Amino acid sequence: MDIFTGLISGFQVAIQPMNLLYCFVGVFIGTLIGVLPGIGPAGTMSILLPLTYGMSPVSAIIMLAGIYYGAMYGGSTTSILVNIPGEAASVVTCLDGYQMARKGRAGPALGISALGSFIGGTFSIIGLMFLVYPLAEAALKIGPPEYFSLVCMSLTILVYLARGSVFKAVIMILVGFILSTVGADFIYGKLRFTFGSTTLMDGIGLVPMVMGLFGISEVLTNIEGPLERIIFKTRIKNLLPNLDDWKRSIGPITRGTILGFFLGIIPGGGPLISSFVSYGIEKRVSKHPEEFGKGAIEGVAGPETANNAATGGGFVPLFALGIPSNVVMAILLGAFMIHGLSPGPTLIIRHPELFWGAISSMYMGNFMLLLLNLPLIGLWVKVLKIPYRILMPLIVLFCLIGSYSINNNLTEVIIMIIFGIVGYILRKFEYEEAPMVLAFILGPLLEKNFRQSLIMSSGDFSIFFNRPISAVAMAIAILLIITASISSYRKVKNKIIP
Amino acid sequence: MGKYHTIPIIFWIGFSLFVMVLSYKLGLEGFHNPGPGLMPFLMGALLLIISLYLLISALFGKRQTRGVAGDEQRQIDLSKIILVLASMFAYAILLERLGYLITTFLLLTLLFKSMGSKRWSFALLNSALVVLISYFVFTFLGARFPEGILKFRGF
Repeated sequence: MDIFTGLISGFQVAIQPMNLLYCFVGVFIGTLIGVLPGIGPAGTMSILLPLTYGMSPVSAIIMLAGIYYGAMYGGSTTSILVNIPGEAASVVTCLDGYQMARKGRAGPALGISALGSFIGGTFSIIGLMFLVYPLAEAALKIGPPEYFSLVCMSLTILVYLARGSVFKAVIMILVGFILSTVGADFIYGKLRFTFGSTTLMDGIGLVPMVMGLFGISEVLTNIEGPLERIIFKTRIKNLLPNLDDWKRSIGPITRGTILGFFLGIIPGGGPLISSFVSYGIEKRVSKHPEEFGKGAIEGVAGPETANNAATGGGFVPLFALGIPSNVVMAILLGAFMIHGLSPGPTLIIRHPELFWGAISSMYMGNFMLLLLNLPLIGLWVKVLKIPYRILMPLIVLFCLIGSYSINNNLTEVIIMIIFGIVGYILRKFEYEEAPMVLAFILGPLLEKNFRQSLIMSSGDFSIFFNRPISAVAMAIAILLIITASISSYRKVKNKIIP
Repeated sequence: MGKYHTIPIIFWIGFSLFVMVLSYKLGLEGFHNPGPGLMPFLMGALLLIISLYLLISALFGKRQTRGVAGDEQRQIDLSKIILVLASMFAYAILLERLGYLITTFLLLTLLFKSMGSKRWSFALLNSALVVLISYFVFTFLGARFPEGILKFRGF
């Protein structure tokens, strides 16, 4: 199917009234939770995942994807007006966005971030459209050893880009893998680590796990201290940036779009890293780097564009290879699996309507978001005033109901609470949950391809090195491990022998 | 190595040993025909090696670890955390016995009140409202909740 026919058939799916409604619901909820600090897209998507059981797969993906890119729009509002990132990917927007608001320029700051997000988001969907099919066709030709090596490479890149310690990220990945092996073994059917629990026979549920790790542990972290926050009081006027603002922003928006899209494809890249890299680049190329941190519009336009462009990029490996590049994509992969579909080259070739429907809905979703975030900005400012003491019980309730309603099984509620505690403790010791969830999702794929490859080669590991694609992926993985180990060894050495 | 606390590392060592023993019992079979225990065993072994390495590094750099933990910067209100966790566990235990409406109402009232609502009327009213709205919305979306002791027919 060529792109033009694909898009037309996609729009036919996306403009069906129910799909339009789900797209709107998705982007609306996305903006809402983006604006509200204390709950992110991963937690929200897992809470809403059980509600998508009754929907068609395409509607479910349209809504869940809407939450993700919608959250990127909403996050900037809180960064600009409250100086607290509504979303992790809007952290850098606080630096200049809040300063602009303090100077009475909250309007243009909000305006340029919505417009930049729209441009970044839309162009990244175009990129996604052009890249997925060639990649998927190439992926059809690869076998278990290549898949195993690609997953290994993805995870090594993830570790390499980890924000905190490399070793902690590796530990989290290993724990994620171990957790993914709970349940029946797929070749022998033998039960592993179930300890007599019938609930665990199907493995640990993704939904209770993610809800606990991203919903409950976030709540526990937030209620540690005082619950109230101060909202910067300002009158928002002139949302549309003036000519000078545009002149200064057009470069950052263009660079942010390209950078965000490609960083989004890389495992572990995603919106957060794109926004940081974009800010760094803008500061470096600017003629007035001294203005950064004091309200430079480039510092808002670049990162806000980049984080939206990264959402589109993230869909590339998911649709083409079935490999999620970040935790939100992992949840989307989970959503596909719940509907009995496994994303990857065969899915988009056999069910093109699903892929094109989702793509077309993203165009419309971005347009809806532009309308939601510019004329309706006043609504979101009001939302910001909802105190956390009211939100918190609601988040707890949604997590409880969500985990119960999957199978009407109380054991899953208990599993969710346990993961909430685990996530909270992990945060206290500065371990990130995201690599664990990603490894948990990729675990079965990795194990299946690893075992199949070894069966193919009768236990000979050279199978991973003598096939070209696999060899390149492995070489990159090994190279990254060596570089990361050397740099962390140097750090340790410098600390022990100063 | 200030950022590595020893308690979690010791936990990881114990956890990896536990996983390795259980995986070994499941059957490793060997690389030519990998058994159900092979993958978790390898993961456990890798986890063990990394944790041991970190433990040794942490012990060497122990002097620097003192005073690094940032807990002093923020006073942690443990009572609220325990209250939320206890109420969630209680919810899980009581949900099927008392039913959705009563258990959820109790949970929300407790949470609203303990999180700083000054007036009881506010907590009670909000809880009742949320219980009813959530019940109708989720039932409409196809979720089934336990009725418990309130067995209203057709409700």
